[in-house]
Amino acid sequence: MALIELSNVTYTYPAAKFPALQNLNLQVNEGELVALVGANGAGKSTLCYTLAGFVPHFYRGELKGTVAVAGVDTHTTPLSELVLTVGLVFQNPFSQISGSKFTVYEEIAFGLENIGLPREEMKARVEKAMTLTGIVDLAGRSPYALSGGQQQRVALASILAMAPKVLVLDEPTSQLDPIGTREVFQVIKTLSQQGVTIIMAEHKIEWIATFADRVVALAGGEIILQGKPEEVLASPLLPEHGIGISRYTSVARLAAQESLWPAGRRLPVTLTEALDGFANT
Amino acid sequence: MNNIINSIKKEFTTTTLVLIPVAIAINIAIGELVVRLNLPVYLDSIGTILVGVLAGPWAGLVTGALANIIWGLIRPSSAPFFYVAAVIGLMAGLAGRWGAFNRESPRWLSVLIGAVFFFSLAMFILAFINLQVVDGFPVFPSMAGLLRQYALVFIAALIIGGAIGYFLLQNGAYAGSAGLITGVVAAIISAPTVAIVFGGVTGSGTDLLVAAFRASGANILASALAQGAVSDPFDKMLSFMVVWIILRSLPARFKAR
Amino acid sequence: MNSPFSLYVARESGLHHLHPLTKLTLTFGLLIAALALPWIWATYILTALVIVPLSVWGHIARPLLRAIWTTVMPFAISVFLIQGLLWGSGTELFRLGPVSLKQEGFVFATASTGRILMIFGAFLLFAMATRPDTLMIALKQIGFPGGLAYIIVTTIQIVPRFQAKANTILDAQRSRGLETEGNILVRARALLPLVMPLVLGSLVDVEERAIAVEARAFNSKRRETSLVEITDSQTQQIARWLMMGLTVGILIARVIWR
Repeated sequence: MALIELSNVTYTYPAAKFPALQNLNLQVNEGELVALVGANGAGKSTLCYTLAGFVPHFYRGELKGTVAVAGVDTHTTPLSELVLTVGLVFQNPFSQISGSKFTVYEEIAFGLENIGLPREEMKARVEKAMTLTGIVDLAGRSPYALSGGQQQRVALASILAMAPKVLVLDEPTSQLDPIGTREVFQVIKTLSQQGVTIIMAEHKIEWIATFADRVVALAGGEIILQGKPEEVLASPLLPEHGIGISRYTSVARLAAQESLWPAGRRLPVTLTEALDGFANT
Repeated sequence: MNNIINSIKKEFTTTTLVLIPVAIAINIAIGELVVRLNLPVYLDSIGTILVGVLAGPWAGLVTGALANIIWGLIRPSSAPFFYVAAVIGLMAGLAGRWGAFNRESPRWLSVLIGAVFFFSLAMFILAFINLQVVDGFPVFPSMAGLLRQYALVFIAALIIGGAIGYFLLQNGAYAGSAGLITGVVAAIISAPTVAIVFGGVTGSGTDLLVAAFRASGANILASALAQGAVSDPFDKMLSFMVVWIILRSLPARFKAR
Repeated sequence: MNSPFSLYVARESGLHHLHPLTKLTLTFGLLIAALALPWIWATYILTALVIVPLSVWGHIARPLLRAIWTTVMPFAISVFLIQGLLWGSGTELFRLGPVSLKQEGFVFATASTGRILMIFGAFLLFAMATRPDTLMIALKQIGFPGGLAYIIVTTIQIVPRFQAKANTILDAQRSRGLETEGNILVRARALLPLVMPLVLGSLVDVEERAIAVEARAFNSKRRETSLVEITDSQTQQIARWLMMGLTVGILIARVIWR
């Protein structure tokens, strides 16, 4: 029984002419890290919001089909309860600061105060989340006095403290510099190794290749391909739909046209695969 | 009764609650910017007006009240006027509901409103200056007498007013007039507080106006009222116009909120 | 700028450790007394005997007196000059050329200044000795709406950031050639290029923050708890009731014996 099940999901934003998601079917099993790739406007963010219940509860509009996350139907459950099952972290680290807390510690506890946890449990969860995301030394700082990568880790910690069953990440590193990106991906990798179910929309193909269990490629609101990272990320379908691919793949593809890449060998996605492949030409 | 409560509650979505602190911060930032630029206006309600128009009259009311109380934490002198700011937010919301910020007005209307406003202002100031105290009672000079005496001033007021209306209001005369009306209301309801709590003075540059009116024989309340009537309508009209311009630059999906 | 927008002055003192509601009740009582008591000297006496000693207890006497001076002086000067000299008809105290100081005006100005002094004194005392977020927690415990508390604390935190942002925009536009000095038309024309980026830039992430906050169960129907603990005592509770009673008593007395 899949942890997440989307059946025939079609969604159109209130003022839009065309649907953002069309007849989407998707299953995610517990413990999987599923990466969503697609060009801008392909529906990655919409899918993330749908998984977290913000479609339809926040954005209104018409949502057809069923969305079931950990046995909970997102249509019929109020958003304030849904957020306890699905945690959402998105691109902009700055806009995820609530603004009402003066220190990082209190900021992470914000969600826990809202759900009414007893003080001792709050402290335990906050400290655990800070350890997981490596920000224990930032506990007393103001959330506004942090770098983008640090703020994004605070956002992650704040959501993790609420102990959701599923973590949805919408391009969590797109506004971060390389250091911040590495910090955040490190945390995500650790979480995935610990068995957390994660769905992550991302552009950074090379990172995805290193730790995603499955890759789902979106275009025009539909799934055009899904499967193991090595297969999906090397597929020619991706560039055809304007989805960015790893530079190693593009180089190898050009090389293959000149017979400089071993015939029949799968195109590389990571540097290691590329080196291996070219060494065997 | 339940319907009213529901319609009030509906205005306070999460988005509204997140918008309000931003709006209050905008109030304060612009209010201080204006002081930096040394301009003879307040312009400290732009955030409040924005909330009124974007989220509704009740949200505007709450924003105004909170803005003054919170600003009062740093500048205590603004706090007692929280109810004035609340009314400004409320009226901005009502103006928004009636479409004042959606519809473009013809240019001639802007000219007309500018002219009428300056004319009334001139009439008002001259009436106060020519106030006479007969047997302990203030006696206002007659309108006809003033018109004859200061004919040139009135003509100048009409021309200048028309020009300002044309250039300032452009085709936002509906928003501009809503601002004017709001300013007049604000002046009226803030006068008692100025008189009672602050002894009739504002502690700022507008006290020159208060002095002028007091010297002409007006009592404390009337001078406070007069000071407000000269500065508030123009200030609020300007604020509403700034919001008008802001709204036209926002992408359409914002206005749906 | 990372200090929140408030007058709070952090000190280790008995006054600071008092429950926020105790201080709020006291401030409210002082406010009512300032407006309701009819004797001119009452405000000056209460300020000297209640507000100043409390500020000494709270180790904030110097910042308090400085703040009172800067706040009250502009009003005091204006009110004495304008209401004293331009009072209209009344008993002259002495002449200064064309204007004369009238007794009624002088009395009025003294009363007004006393009132302003006590109101702002009480308010500043409260603001300097109470942490805004602790105050909000205390208010929420007695039923204050959570949304309102969120708004107040968030505003206090983001206003300095906005002021800083406004300054950044000012510098940026100036370096692009915007004139901010000169005659009034020049300065007025500088207004929009400074206001628009500030406003538009900050409205953009409002929707995202609403989502972020919803993702943290902001609208949860469950009863909220608080990470921070506020100390209270029975003595304080009794004191609060007594102060409320006294305040109401003053109000009633003022209404009856106009």
